[in-house]
Amino acid sequence: MALSEKKSFWQKLKAWIDGEEILINADKYISTREKPELPHFAKHFSTENVRSNKKLYRLMSVFVSLVFIGIMLITVTHLPTFGEASNPSNNEVAERYLEQGIEETGAINFVAGMILDYRAFDTFGESNVLFLAVICVVMLLKRDSKNISAAEDQENAEDDVFDMEDLKLILKKGSKTIAPLVILYGIYVVLNGHLSPGGGFSGGSIIGAGLILYSAANGQKKMQTFFTFRTFTLISVACLLTYCGCKSYSFFTGANHVGYEIPKGVPGAILSSGFILPLNICVGLIVACTMYGFYALFTKGEI
Amino acid sequence: MSIREILAAVCIILGILVFCCSILGVYRLKYVLNRMHAAALGDTLGLFLVVLGLLILGKDMFHMLKYALIVIFFWVSSPIATHMIAKVELLTDKDYEERMRGK
Repeated sequence: MALSEKKSFWQKLKAWIDGEEILINADKYISTREKPELPHFAKHFSTENVRSNKKLYRLMSVFVSLVFIGIMLITVTHLPTFGEASNPSNNEVAERYLEQGIEETGAINFVAGMILDYRAFDTFGESNVLFLAVICVVMLLKRDSKNISAAEDQENAEDDVFDMEDLKLILKKGSKTIAPLVILYGIYVVLNGHLSPGGGFSGGSIIGAGLILYSAANGQKKMQTFFTFRTFTLISVACLLTYCGCKSYSFFTGANHVGYEIPKGVPGAILSSGFILPLNICVGLIVACTMYGFYALFTKGEI
Repeated sequence: MSIREILAAVCIILGILVFCCSILGVYRLKYVLNRMHAAALGDTLGLFLVVLGLLILGKDMFHMLKYALIVIFFWVSSPIATHMIAKVELLTDKDYEERMRGK
């Protein structure tokens, strides 16, 4: 069907249903139309352009900052007065935590109950941020053939030889006694996070410190016999997924855990208080991996 | 005030004095190795005296053992850290010989 033909209503409808474009006088339109000009973003927003408009740029940045400051200040005026007795943070929330914290979360350590139950998604976000930070550092600093020159490679090799020749007797003897104790203490803090002060973040950083001590004394080569990049990614991803799975029971049981009885924590019994313990272990492992990952990447450029 | 309390107070005050000396040294001295010497004073002798005072005051055997553990941990870890810092300084400082002979 030629496009110049005048279509009947039914033809138009049929074409519309079939998905064809309907154009009146389409041939004429095609012959006379102009090609649309694509905007050249690169031309407008090049660095030279910004540099030549330095004054305007500064003015604009000051203006944008002022606008944001103004918005924030206006919001502040709507907040309740600090420290007033009738503020919601002063009566309802803290009272509920103290009175019903154990029944609702099962954790004896209220801080653990707060960060792993009431604000569990916040903690999940924090763990994700840690993981993302390590991944960004890996992208920037990990040693591979693309971002390292032959000279740097040789320098690293010389460093390795120097490291091997250096006996480091005192450090090795010291780390032999201290590092296992530090890691053991970290594990203790993680496992007792729901019963006593401590928890995933603090225990994880202690474990990370122990790993760093071991790595500094015995070298990256020995560390890689049990902790490679593969183990690092596996542990991090598995912990994040476990956290996600453990916490999604809130979705299936409803926001108030209807139909799910949270077992209460018992002082001294590690295997109590439901999901707080596995969540603490997940967070602790992620933090430990992150600490050691940063150290390894910044010193040698590989985990 | 019993003799035990007086003894503990003397130990703790001595320890705090040692800590003050070490802080003074850290700000007063200019070179890394000298400063490290001053800083290590507080970590070893000062900490030992303070914990000794607390040990004398302690009532429970378990708590006293924990205090002793703190001292042992610091006496093992702090000299190692100091040693490593000194080693790095010695290996990387180009003017080391000059500094040692000249002054």
